[in-house]
Amino acid sequence: MSLLSSSLAIAKKDLTIELRTREITVSTGFFALLIAALTSLSFFVDDTLSRNVAPGVLYVTVAFSAVLAISRSWAREREQDAMRALLVAPIPRLAIYVGKAISTLAFLVFVELLLVPLVAILYHVDFADVLGRLVAILGLATLGIVLSGTLFGAMTVKTSARDLMLSVVLFPLITPVLLGAVVATRELLGHNDAEVIAWLKILLAYDVVVGLAAGVVFDALVSE
Amino acid sequence: MVATLVGRDNYAAVSASTDPARPRYTRVSGRGLVKTYGPTRALAGVDVDFRAGEVTVVEGPNGSGKSTLLGLLSLLVRPSRGTLTFGEHDARTNGTLLRGTVGVLAHAALVYPDLSALESLALTAELYGLGAVEATERVASLRQRFELGSFAERAARTYSRGQLQRLAIARTLLHRPELVLLDEPSTGLDKASTARLVDAVAEERARGAIVIVVTHDVGFADAIATRRLRLDRGRVEEGS
Repeated sequence: MSLLSSSLAIAKKDLTIELRTREITVSTGFFALLIAALTSLSFFVDDTLSRNVAPGVLYVTVAFSAVLAISRSWAREREQDAMRALLVAPIPRLAIYVGKAISTLAFLVFVELLLVPLVAILYHVDFADVLGRLVAILGLATLGIVLSGTLFGAMTVKTSARDLMLSVVLFPLITPVLLGAVVATRELLGHNDAEVIAWLKILLAYDVVVGLAAGVVFDALVSE
Repeated sequence: MVATLVGRDNYAAVSASTDPARPRYTRVSGRGLVKTYGPTRALAGVDVDFRAGEVTVVEGPNGSGKSTLLGLLSLLVRPSRGTLTFGEHDARTNGTLLRGTVGVLAHAALVYPDLSALESLALTAELYGLGAVEATERVASLRQRFELGSFAERAARTYSRGQLQRLAIARTLLHRPELVLLDEPSTGLDKASTARLVDAVAEERARGAIVIVVTHDVGFADAIATRRLRLDRGRVEEGS
């Protein structure tokens, strides 16, 4: 079975389960909305200051939500040792990574569709003029977080201190993405296009490097 | 695929897996198999041969290396030393292709609790590259054989231990594997289900599959075994 078709089969399986249980999207969605609402109460001073704070709130919320979604997504592979069924199937091991990354990306995009309008309202930020470039920044950042998180999330299937390990390993690793996305969005709201493009290139490079690294190490990471 | 499999009633008869690219073999051989986990030697140089049409029951005390041997044969675990060949195919270089010829029943059911039996079997069929017609026929056949009908459309989370085990056995045999690995297959089964399992093992043997079973169920072992292999402290005991 090809990498693409087996990846899609795994992603479809995750989406089918999620459509049935709504476990990840509901818990992650409420969590994200709560952070956005609570921080707006604390940080909102005036429109100028809030425009600088909003990008940080947005990506911190996305990062925490991602950890929650990735952790829960891999937890499903632990129940009844379901991951083993994928490991003994005649599919490229990388398909497990790609399939899980596709479904996790879908969960986070759903959360972001709720989160971005809420941040815009609570922080009085007008994203309408810059929506295309915001989608590019948010898309590349989310992809980077998902690619890194899915890679190390696989390790949590076999370890005992799972959530602790995922957080300890993942947050330092995605720091460049979070820094890049926050600064790019801040510059975007300040209409500094040259800076935005420079940061977009950095985010793209990060995604490419992590994607390639995952292609090399994932098999070894899940093999016994 | 899920929608294709559920609710179709015109099943075409397919006698064997139709994938021409699938490797065929009648013997699986291990030579000098060693597996170490840190300082622990789970297998300490095992030479074994398994032939088509045999049902080998692997016996031995806890920690003797039975599960490790099944792990190697399922191509899930790589040997620290030694070679494993499936007919002419070296397991090191043909792992992905060979995995399609192996059916694995483990301690856990290896299914997703939030999917139904039909959805789990459909996913397995898809991952093993079964065509729609063959998958439909196999699911219908196994559904009947292991009496999955009454609960096949409910989420596996609601199953009893025995129902889950029956689903796990159906999942293992779905793609008509050349090598069938069964780890404690009679666990949780009632008398009638165990009898059906004995019949299923006999059918797999008659089909020409290589069947390897780890079990502590003496009665079940006596009913299916054509050969016994005893492991002790990671080695095959003399005379077994």
